Amino acid sequence: MVFTSFIFYLFFPTVFVLYWFVFQRHLKAQNVLLLVASYFFYGWWDWRFLSLVAFSTVLDYTMGRLIGAQEDDRKRQWLLWVSLGLNLSLLGFFKYYNFFVTSWVDAWASVGVHMPDATLHIILPLGISFYTFQSMSYSLDVYKGRLEPIKDFLSFATFVSFFPQLVAGPIERAVHFLPQVTKPRTFDYQRGVDGIRLMLWGMFKKVVIADNLAVFVEQIFRGYEHMSSITLVLGAVYFTVQVYCDFSGYSDIAIGTAKLLGFELMSNFRFPLLARSIPEFWSRWHISLTTWLNDYLFTPVSLSLRNLRKNGIALAILITFLVSGIWHGARWTFVIWGLVNGLLFIPYVIKGRLMQRAEVVAKGKWFPTLTEALQILMVFGLWTLTLVFFRAESLPIATGYFKAMATHFSGPILFKTGIVYVVVLFILDWINREDERNPKVLRIGPRGFRMAVELGMTIVVFFNMLSGYKEFVYFDF
Amino acid sequence: MTHDEVLAKLQEVFRKVLNDKTIVLTPATTAKDVAGWDSLSHVMLVVEIEGAFKKRFKAREIQNWQCVGDMITSLLNA
Repeated sequence: MVFTSFIFYLFFPTVFVLYWFVFQRHLKAQNVLLLVASYFFYGWWDWRFLSLVAFSTVLDYTMGRLIGAQEDDRKRQWLLWVSLGLNLSLLGFFKYYNFFVTSWVDAWASVGVHMPDATLHIILPLGISFYTFQSMSYSLDVYKGRLEPIKDFLSFATFVSFFPQLVAGPIERAVHFLPQVTKPRTFDYQRGVDGIRLMLWGMFKKVVIADNLAVFVEQIFRGYEHMSSITLVLGAVYFTVQVYCDFSGYSDIAIGTAKLLGFELMSNFRFPLLARSIPEFWSRWHISLTTWLNDYLFTPVSLSLRNLRKNGIALAILITFLVSGIWHGARWTFVIWGLVNGLLFIPYVIKGRLMQRAEVVAKGKWFPTLTEALQILMVFGLWTLTLVFFRAESLPIATGYFKAMATHFSGPILFKTGIVYVVVLFILDWINREDERNPKVLRIGPRGFRMAVELGMTIVVFFNMLSGYKEFVYFDF
Repeated sequence: MTHDEVLAKLQEVFRKVLNDKTIVLTPATTAKDVAGWDSLSHVMLVVEIEGAFKKRFKAREIQNWQCVGDMITSLLNA
């Protein structure tokens, strides 16, 4: 089931009513309801893969208990490796098996040796990268002593499968989320209103902006060989805005849905398209994944390479971005995408201009300064170029797209109307930029005006939903 | 070295690495309190601290530091 399908708007009100009006006095009953609802939500797509969610849950619950009970450091480490090994094997099989087999066969074929094709027909389970990472973070945190292992299996199972963020994040941390599951929740009217507004804003970004731009992007990337340079630039820009609205829209709906159930999920996007530097961009884009990689990969790797000083940090950054690329998908284009983004980060390490506190751009002002505007444009341009690798289905297509972009100077400019969506997104993001969890566009003016804006936005979303459901881009990961 | 001497020397290292002469550390100071103290600069801080105090920490010990006080404890116990 997805947030933008009509069935969700039957499912969620039912859960909401049962949760707050039937089971409101019984925490355990509320958690059972959330667990059943989450498995129903996931099973709506394919019930067979519920066994994988259940496996990850039982595995990390058990490993957490065993690690917590063990005092011998070596045995604790061994148990952690078992947990990580099993989780990553599951992910590796379902997501990467065919990629490795194909790459292996192709590598031998390039030197004239023909190996048998041993690829399998494997369906990628929805959200496997998200819930596996979420579940693994629990074992890692117990091992590092940041968290006491939980005894209550129901609460842990609810944490792993919580339906608002199960299939596409934000990737929650047990240390942040588990205390919310184990404590009674009370309905807060203002939190509920904020949740609905955030859901509406997320739906608008997904259904109106991302899905309409997706039509142009699909046509431009499919026929890139016959498109002019400017059309191809537009195609890349449209994809940048599409993927941002698609994914941040999903996150907003997830956070809003969770708010209506009395939970606070972590922010996942903080206006990354307004970032003024590459490090700032990565502190604003897919925050739950970048902080996960930062805590569990970059930090230990960079510390173990610290004798190499800045070179060690640069190497750790490249490794982290490489893993980030592979996390996104089993394709060489994602590997290159990850590496290019890592390389774009390196100059900041060399200059010593590392991650700065990401202040709101032009806070309290109407417009950015010229320098800020140029910085935003530069980061947006570089990010847009890297996303060509992200969108292209193969490396030859990506390189062909760049080549056509650099050489097809003549020809008509097609799909110009998409610019309207880009401009609308930038204007609204600029207005909202001070608080990603409380869209300002829905809070401006007197009550009557606000209601008119909310109603207007709802109608636009509804009519766009009628044109058919388009899958979220990040469901492929 | 005494607790206060370690704190003063740590402050020097922080000021040098983060290029900010106004930094004032207390045992309760965390990364949230110091502009620029993030996961990237943290590695450079560790390198400089190890050099300044001529100590070598285990990665796990470093990852358990939650505040400047934890650093001081590690340095005094090393």
